[in-house]
Amino acid sequence: MTSQVETLPIACHQVGVRYGRTQALNQASFQVEPGQVYALLGRNGSGKTSLVRCLLGHQKPTAGRVELFGQEVWSARQTLMHRVGVVAEEPDAPPLMTTRQLVRFCGSLYPTWDQAGVDQRLGRFRIPMDLPFGRLSRGQKGQVSLALALGPKPALLVLDDPTLGLDAVARREVYDELLGELGERGTTVLITTHDLAGIEGLADRIGILHQGRLLVDASLEDLKARHRKVSWAPTQAVDPTDLAPFAPLWSRTGSLGGEAILTQGDPSQVPGLQVHPLSLEELFVALVGEAEVAS
Amino acid sequence: MSILAVTRREWTGRRNVLLLAAGLSVISILSMYFEADPKVAHEKATFMGIFAGTALAWVVALLYGATMVSRDLEERRFGFFLNQPLHAAQIFLGKVLAGLGLALLAGLLAGLPSVLLSGLWRQVALKDLGAIVGVGLAGCLVLLLLFHAVSIQVRSRSLWLLLDLVVWTAFFAGVRWLSLRLMGAWAFQDMVHLWLGLLAGGTLGLGIAGYLQVAEGRADLQRGHRWVSITLALTAGLLLLAGWVDTAWVLKHRPPVAWTSQPGNRSR
Repeated sequence: MTSQVETLPIACHQVGVRYGRTQALNQASFQVEPGQVYALLGRNGSGKTSLVRCLLGHQKPTAGRVELFGQEVWSARQTLMHRVGVVAEEPDAPPLMTTRQLVRFCGSLYPTWDQAGVDQRLGRFRIPMDLPFGRLSRGQKGQVSLALALGPKPALLVLDDPTLGLDAVARREVYDELLGELGERGTTVLITTHDLAGIEGLADRIGILHQGRLLVDASLEDLKARHRKVSWAPTQAVDPTDLAPFAPLWSRTGSLGGEAILTQGDPSQVPGLQVHPLSLEELFVALVGEAEVAS
Repeated sequence: MSILAVTRREWTGRRNVLLLAAGLSVISILSMYFEADPKVAHEKATFMGIFAGTALAWVVALLYGATMVSRDLEERRFGFFLNQPLHAAQIFLGKVLAGLGLALLAGLLAGLPSVLLSGLWRQVALKDLGAIVGVGLAGCLVLLLLFHAVSIQVRSRSLWLLLDLVVWTAFFAGVRWLSLRLMGAWAFQDMVHLWLGLLAGGTLGLGIAGYLQVAEGRADLQRGHRWVSITLALTAGLLLLAGWVDTAWVLKHRPPVAWTSQPGNRSR
């Protein structure tokens, strides 16, 4: 038990963050296993950034404990950062430094720096090496940040909304790079994102934060197995109350028929109901919508 | 090595300061050629060089101190340092070293050429030249650390600023009171020693406050401000206490001033 806990890349125990009277994060607990891709989802202001700041030792949680590789982050930040690569939500590298200078600066800090790998990535992204970071486009800044984060061959990669503001091509390049890294080295990844469609094929486990609380912490497979999306045509006489045995999480009816997300039972036997594959986005909207109604 | 990496990073993009210093240097040198009397011209150039060099070094230190951490925090760019395997002390010392180096380099570049060209430096003892550079550098350190603390206090816009204002006011009122007591006893030399002691202690306190702001505040500007405020309040309290003990000791062991009345001074 102890050795397993020690090797966990991420372990959060009852983490709380408070800003004055505002409780930004409330008793959030979850773990990320080695090699796992954990997608932390939530609406704006749900507490994702506070949690990431605690995970990286930028901020001390007001309650609970955050551990990376079995060590408390706040006190062991410097040591831990040798094993962690970070892509921040807002590209935060000094704007006057050129990409070349940034690579030299970061390279001098890590004994495991993979210069050839960084050069290859930057070449693939077609980044101008002698342009100041502040003058790169939003997409290029994200790509440079990713190349720098992967430079020391980290055991854990923390990506805070890495596709924010990127066009479809740049987004695809970021995910391709991540897939390559995962395939090659099995790096553990924690990613926060609003790009639910993009992360769906990548994530093993999902955490959904809502109003500071961790609403869901489950594998994507389990979530999809537990929830089913059904629809019915307007001509079908399906009453939403007929769905009660299937514990609907969310439902709506209109002139075009109706649809619902069910949380138990097998609805395929019900006449008039069509069962569809459920996307992560539909699941997220239903879960968060339900939580908002409940609160 | 990591400290120097931070220092090098801080110098990036600040070459304009050196250009400004070179410009000031040219002005100091040119001032020699607008004076008919060569002796006066050389004296003038030396004075201009020392003044321009010291002033520029202090202004650079002040401006650098006011932006070295607080601007990164305000613009949410300090995380870049925290995401690297750098200890808080390495980040802080690297930045302080960069500021001092930049101020010293700018000061020397602005002042040294005219001082050297005037030739008057040959008449000054090496010890005095060292003292001038030492005072200049010490001034840079004090200004850099002071304005780092002040910029954190101002930019965080938290209620701790009230404590800061009370502490600064109480500290200067205390120093004034102690100074007046020593002046009343004609202990001017002891007063200067007291000031130097307070300055040295204050600089140490500012250095500790600056380090704690980075180590404990990290990316949280308001938390950093709290650490700065508490550290400076404690420092001010300890310094005033030490100053009070020192003043009391001086006054106790100093022979009373003998006020002798002179016949001519008596008022009618």
